[in-house]
Amino acid sequence: MKRRNLMKSSAALALAVSVLGSAAWAENPVLKIGFVGVTSGPAAAWGISNQRSMEARADWINESGGYKIGDTTYDIEIVSFDDQKDPKRAIAGMEKMAQEGIHYVVGPNVDDGAAAVRPVAEAQGIMYFPYAFPKELYSAPASNAVLGMVANYQSGPAIYKYLRDEKGVKTVAFVAANESDPLSQRDGGIAAANALGLEVVSDNVTYQVDTTDFTPVLTPVMRTQPDLLVLSGVSPANAPQLIRSARELGFQGVISTETAQDATVLREGAGDLANGFISVGGASTPEIASDDMKEFVKRYTDMFGEYNDESNTKVYALEYILATLNANPAGIEDVNAFQTTMDTFEAPNPFMKGDAKMRYVGTTSFGQKRQIAVPLVVNVYQDGVFETLFVAEVD
Amino acid sequence: MEQILANGIYLGAQYAMIALGLTLIFALMNVLNFAHGQMYVLGGFVTYTFYGQLGWPFVIALLASCITLAVLGALIERFLFAPVIRRSSREESTMLLAAGLAFLFDAIILLVFGEKQRGVPKIVDGVFNWDFKLIMPYDRILICILAILSIVTFILFMQYSKTGRALRALAQDRTAAQLMGVNVSRYSMIGFALGAMLAGLVGGLLVTITGVNLGMGGPTSIKAFMMVMIGGAGVISGAIAGGIILGFMEAIGLAVLSQYGDITYLLIFVSLMIFLAIRPQGLMGKPWG
Amino acid sequence: MIQWAGVAVFLLAIFIAIPGFVAASGRSDLYYTLTSVALLSIASAGVWLTFYIGRINIGQGAFALIGAYVSAILVTKAGISFWLSLPLAGLFAAGVAVLIGLPILRLRGVYFAMISLVLTQVVTLTALALPITNGAKGITSIPLPGGVSIFGLTLIPDFATLENPRLAFYYAASVLMVLTFAAMYRLVNSRLGHLCRSMQQNEELASSIGVNISYIRVIVFSISSFLGGIGGAMFGSIAQSVYPSSFQVADSVNFMLNCFLGGLGYVFGPMLGTLVLYFGWDLLFELGRFQLLAYSSLLIILMLFLPNGLLSLRLPGKKGADK
Repeated sequence: MKRRNLMKSSAALALAVSVLGSAAWAENPVLKIGFVGVTSGPAAAWGISNQRSMEARADWINESGGYKIGDTTYDIEIVSFDDQKDPKRAIAGMEKMAQEGIHYVVGPNVDDGAAAVRPVAEAQGIMYFPYAFPKELYSAPASNAVLGMVANYQSGPAIYKYLRDEKGVKTVAFVAANESDPLSQRDGGIAAANALGLEVVSDNVTYQVDTTDFTPVLTPVMRTQPDLLVLSGVSPANAPQLIRSARELGFQGVISTETAQDATVLREGAGDLANGFISVGGASTPEIASDDMKEFVKRYTDMFGEYNDESNTKVYALEYILATLNANPAGIEDVNAFQTTMDTFEAPNPFMKGDAKMRYVGTTSFGQKRQIAVPLVVNVYQDGVFETLFVAEVD
Repeated sequence: MEQILANGIYLGAQYAMIALGLTLIFALMNVLNFAHGQMYVLGGFVTYTFYGQLGWPFVIALLASCITLAVLGALIERFLFAPVIRRSSREESTMLLAAGLAFLFDAIILLVFGEKQRGVPKIVDGVFNWDFKLIMPYDRILICILAILSIVTFILFMQYSKTGRALRALAQDRTAAQLMGVNVSRYSMIGFALGAMLAGLVGGLLVTITGVNLGMGGPTSIKAFMMVMIGGAGVISGAIAGGIILGFMEAIGLAVLSQYGDITYLLIFVSLMIFLAIRPQGLMGKPWG
Repeated sequence: MIQWAGVAVFLLAIFIAIPGFVAASGRSDLYYTLTSVALLSIASAGVWLTFYIGRINIGQGAFALIGAYVSAILVTKAGISFWLSLPLAGLFAAGVAVLIGLPILRLRGVYFAMISLVLTQVVTLTALALPITNGAKGITSIPLPGGVSIFGLTLIPDFATLENPRLAFYYAASVLMVLTFAAMYRLVNSRLGHLCRSMQQNEELASSIGVNISYIRVIVFSISSFLGGIGGAMFGSIAQSVYPSSFQVADSVNFMLNCFLGGLGYVFGPMLGTLVLYFGWDLLFELGRFQLLAYSSLLIILMLFLPNGLLSLRLPGKKGADK
């Protein structure tokens, strides 16, 4: 097998380099963690920030001597597979992970991929951490998926409630791209708004992801004069253009989304018009970022040239995997042990100031603990940076 | 109503420009350039680099986009398309080449410019607002005018310059043009360069409004294909008509059908299929065979 | 004689040698990869067939998606066996192809190419809008194919009870692929095949000597779509889920590229093209972020040196030696 040889030789090369690079390093056994997601083509942005977060963190761990699990210290190796946003490829990726003996995989990034890899993951004993929201992935009888972030049906209600109570928002309009993920998130948002007693004035306007001019899309929405415009599941590429079009059409109300965004992209694409835009982020705003988080951002920036604010939420999955394995080293080979540990696991959250905890949640939404407790940090964009609006918890 | 009209004109002008380059390349070489959208994105990134990053004047950045793409187009024609057309037993083989190029551009753009959405400072501030009946930001108006000017310039160039006449002769009948003393391989290269340049130009213009990201290429190609089909493949006036028609269909569809949500594009696609089934050569194209 | 030997070697390879190799080397991930190749090459074979009547088909993704949905709906909502839903999915796709094909097959060249491309988007958008396809949420948790038995004799075991359903899927896909290409070979060398070739060269001429070209076009297009539907339905069953994005424009384009790469003049072109394109991507896995760059460069270089497809390498003089 040619591939095998190539792999062996590249591994040997990497080993040689690392030995030469620092003779003081002990030869740690390697713990492989997988990533299956989209890192090329049109949707590359979804997966790249993810992959880079993992690589930056793994690099940092290895540089400081490895990660201690039980009595052994491991070097962390990230094995990435580009699924090209094709669910059929994602299955192949998961098979490849199983072949490499990997039991913990981050991704896939979208609903269809996450659903497609489920049979493989459950058959091969792989825990995977998708960034997709369908509840059936995480509710019994599904057992091996752990939601890697806060779902929109969890963050939406918190944001709407805040805006209703603090800003007097009464009417809300939803706009979504005509694709599976955004449409599902829109439907979740509508349900949440109705439950809070908000009046939904427009809920069926959609756009194609390749739209270059959003004015015609938004004109009918603006006629309904909502207090709040929700961009359901908006991709970072579309967000600035939508904001800009809405503001240029004279929209005065609040604009929000439940997905993570990037401040630089907003500044370049919409400038001051993006001021006041509410999105969900992780823990890199100065008010709550710990020193570890600042260090992570610095390392990421050094490695890849530019930080991506979406990584604020994506730094967590790897950390959870390692910390949970640390709590129960049997999990390295046995995902059932990992699953048992999940019910009781608790550890300090290194990326947030104060005494925030890492633990598994999701009982309310899924009936079992199949979600990592990322702090629900609601940000507001102001003059090129995000400011923390409020922090909440998911249970 | 006024708003729909204005949106239609704006969309139509930008679409027509995208379709022009594609149809030109098709008319000259019978190549369906799958990489056209990627060329447009590349043009956007060049303008972004010069205008947004280095702070050069917008016009210079735009020129840089045009030149980069023209050179690139010429090289691609000379070293890739021309040899493949010569050696291949079927014309359609160039499709695989074009698709390969589209992948290659996607890869290069990702490596060089990154995965993020990029934008540049606005070239003009302010919004034209006529009593809320017609709202149009000034930069859109400016870009729309620039696009129309470019289209007019292009038509005049094709109509009256020596190069333009040679290109038209080539498009009409390759063999006849060759017999009349037109240097076919030279003008094929010029034509391809011109088509690529148009893609770069429109990319540079639109980056000021929509910004640019790696993912825009593929969908842009498909939209351009549709416009070319509506107007008739390989016909310049057809591409312009196709662009304007698609622009208006979108503007009207989105305004009228907004309460039904998901069906505007479905209807556009279906009506395009019905239209082509009735009129296979498009509005102005030559019938096949 | 030599041909039969070639077929025998091929059959031995896919049904005995490959499972044996996988068992020996422990590379069990190869099962899924090869299953994918088999299914994708079935759909690509359909595209190849439309090339055979001189049509560039970039719409096979549409029929694969239709097939996947029909099978998924029949299995989850009507509760019928997957093995019955599989031919029904193909037939439904073929039926749709007849309806759509009647008007659009009159188009040629890039016009047909473009309209078939648009078709893929139409089906995706329709799947998003319809209630029966469950819209954006897709159809998930599709059960694995059940067993088939006649008079107590188990023909196909229940996949859910198998220790290794991947091997079962591999066999199922391989059998389908062998049947498909056998049928293709038969078809190309039949009277219909001759008529197709005459149409590929000149439709007017074919029509003038009394060939009912519009009838043949629709028949060929529906066979092509039948294959697309079968391939799609199998994929839905492996993934146990179908989404509007399960087959997209990119898939349609890939099906076409598979045919180009293998060579349009060769029945087995699509199989080879699929194998090379799919494994090409997989082999470049080690290159990380340069994977797409290397992949596309290789594609372009291949096209530069072998513009008529990989199988054109088989020069006339070597023909005997190869088989």
